[in-house]
Parts: sequence; structure tokens; C-alpha cells
Amino acid sequence: MSSAQERSAAVVDGLEAIGLDYILHLPSSTLSAVLRHFDEKANGEKPRAFPVTREEEAVGIASGIALAGQKAALVIQDNGLGNLLTALNTFPQAYHLPLFMVVSRRGGLGEYNSMIHLFCERVDAIAEAAGLRTFVLNGRVPLDLWSSTVTKGFEHSQITRRPIAVFVDLMGGQP
Amino acid sequence: MTRIEALEAIVAAFPDDPTVVTLGVTARELAAVARRPNHLYILDSMGLPPAIGLGLSVSLESSRFGKIITLEGDGGLLMGMSALATVGLLQPRKYLLIVLDNGVYAATGGQKTAASAVDFCAVARGCGMIATDVEDISALKSELERCKIIHNPILLRVRISPQNAKVPYLLEDPVILGEAFRKYLAT
Repeated sequence: MSSAQERSAAVVDGLEAIGLDYILHLPSSTLSAVLRHFDEKANGEKPRAFPVTREEEAVGIASGIALAGQKAALVIQDNGLGNLLTALNTFPQAYHLPLFMVVSRRGGLGEYNSMIHLFCERVDAIAEAAGLRTFVLNGRVPLDLWSSTVTKGFEHSQITRRPIAVFVDLMGGQP
Repeated sequence: MTRIEALEAIVAAFPDDPTVVTLGVTARELAAVARRPNHLYILDSMGLPPAIGLGLSVSLESSRFGKIITLEGDGGLLMGMSALATVGLLQPRKYLLIVLDNGVYAATGGQKTAASAVDFCAVARGCGMIATDVEDISALKSELERCKIIHNPILLRVRISPQNAKVPYLLEDPVILGEAFRKYLAT
């Protein structure tokens, strides 16, 4: 099985291959290697990465970026997914706007945080109920498919004009 | 100053710049004042317009447009106020957030908001924005002109009366509204 470092590097490669203008992110320990890569870019180098305060704010900003014809990705953690559901369904879903997010999965075997299970174990069902199309990268997916899946996930959001999430299990806890 | 009077002044000052319009009575009254392809009507998504305007502003920094305008209410801003921190961080030069403050949730029966306890301009300044309180229509017209020569993110808090104009509901397909706006930006 691949390491967390290798999976994070593959996610970075997949995001880089898109040719993004912006990365909007919220804090996440499991995504720290991915976020560090983009935060350390030189001023003026694309994609421009910046923090946002809440997940629904990220949906609003990324939707505005999409309307203006540029490319953005949200890089967030799954325990914040609940924050963005109304914004997601009333704006990009309703207006047929592409929106792409890489969502780090938490919970499950190997999770160190005793509190995070309650919400994260329900994220698949919540995403399904919200009509959010998802693709999953976990320990069952060979490492050589991770990067291309991230890139294709973005392309799918553009083609289908709707929000797409790629769920990534960087900790290896999700079966 | 009524909301309609404020909207007429804003449309006159910025007839062609992209304008994100918050839901409810503001969207309905603006549609009654002027239907323009540069107006993006947000039919729901309370609290989201300041963030949508921010995304447009960072992407249209080098565009032909002078300002990227967001029309928000006091209740809507209270719901999405954390976006002002990100505005301050990114410093989009063309961002203009106009808060039409009537102190109530106009579309849902006029329940009071918490705006009377909040100094929106102080919050905006604390987030690195230029901010001005506007109390009457004459001051609004002069402030809108002054905004055109300021190259920093701006918040105008515009005091309006709580009454609503009798205008029809805006019940159009959001896909068509969004696509018309996108095409306007692309041409």
C-alpha cells in the first residue's frame, strides 16, 4: 500500500496538471503536505492559493471565479462538508456552474481523533443525499491512478457543469 | 431613501459593470428598475453574494470593468460577514460591496436583524477595506462617483427605509440567469 506522502504527492500532481488559477483551502492536518506545496509558491505563480474562512464561502468565491471563466479548486476536509451543502445546492448546482473540490476523508481505521467519526462516517450518505457527484481515491485504488483521477475529476466538473468532489483518503484509514 | 431610489442611483452610476444582486426584495426591485445582462440575480443562497462578488473580483482584476459590484442586505451580510476577512486578505482593487441596510429581513415579514448593534464600516475597515456610511440619496450619488477613483476594496453601508415596493416575484430559471451573465462577462 502506498504511503501518505506518496498519495499527497499524487494529489499535488493531479491538481498541478489541471492548470488551475486558484486553490481555496481550509485547514487540515491530513492535507498539510498538499497545502504546503501550493502555499509555498512564489508570488504571481499559478495557482494562487489562499485560505478561506468557511466552506460555503469557498463555494461562493469559486463559483464567481467559474462565472468569470477561470479555474479554481477547493481543497478541504470532509468534516466541513456540512457547512457548504445549502450554498452548493442553491448556487452552483442550481445555476449549472462547474465547481471542483478535493475532499480529505477522515475517520475509520487509523483515525487518531476520537471525535471526528460522528460526522465523517456519514459523509458518503450526506453527499449522496445532496446530489454531490463524488469519486473516491482510497487504499484500494492503485497509486498510479490517483493523479489522473484528480485531473479528470476537474474535467468532469467542467463537462457536466456541476459540483464534483474527489474524496481522497490520505491517512489510509478508509477501507 | 427607499431601496428603489438607491437601486436607481447605483444602476445610473454603474450601468455596465458586473453586479451581483442578493435575493428577495432587492433582486425583485432591481429587476423592476432595470433588466441588464450585467446583473446576476441570486435567487436563494442567503449570505453568499459577498463571496460570489469576491470570486468575480479576483478573476476580473484585469478586465475592462471598472468595478465588480455586490448588492447585499444587512441580514445577508451578517450571515456571510466572514467573507470580509478574505476580501481584506486578497485586496481585490475593483470590489465594491454596497450594503442596503434597512434593519430588517424584508422578504420574510420584516423581522429585525442585529444590524442596529453592528458598525459595518468599522468591521470592513478592520478587514482592510475602505468603508463609508451613507444616509441619504445625495450622499449616495456622490459616494458612488468617489468609488470610481478608489482602487481598493470598498464597503458602502447605505441606510434605507424598511418599506418594499410592490413588484412581481422573480421566478426565472437560474440556469438561464447565470448563463446570460457568464456570456456578458465573456464578450
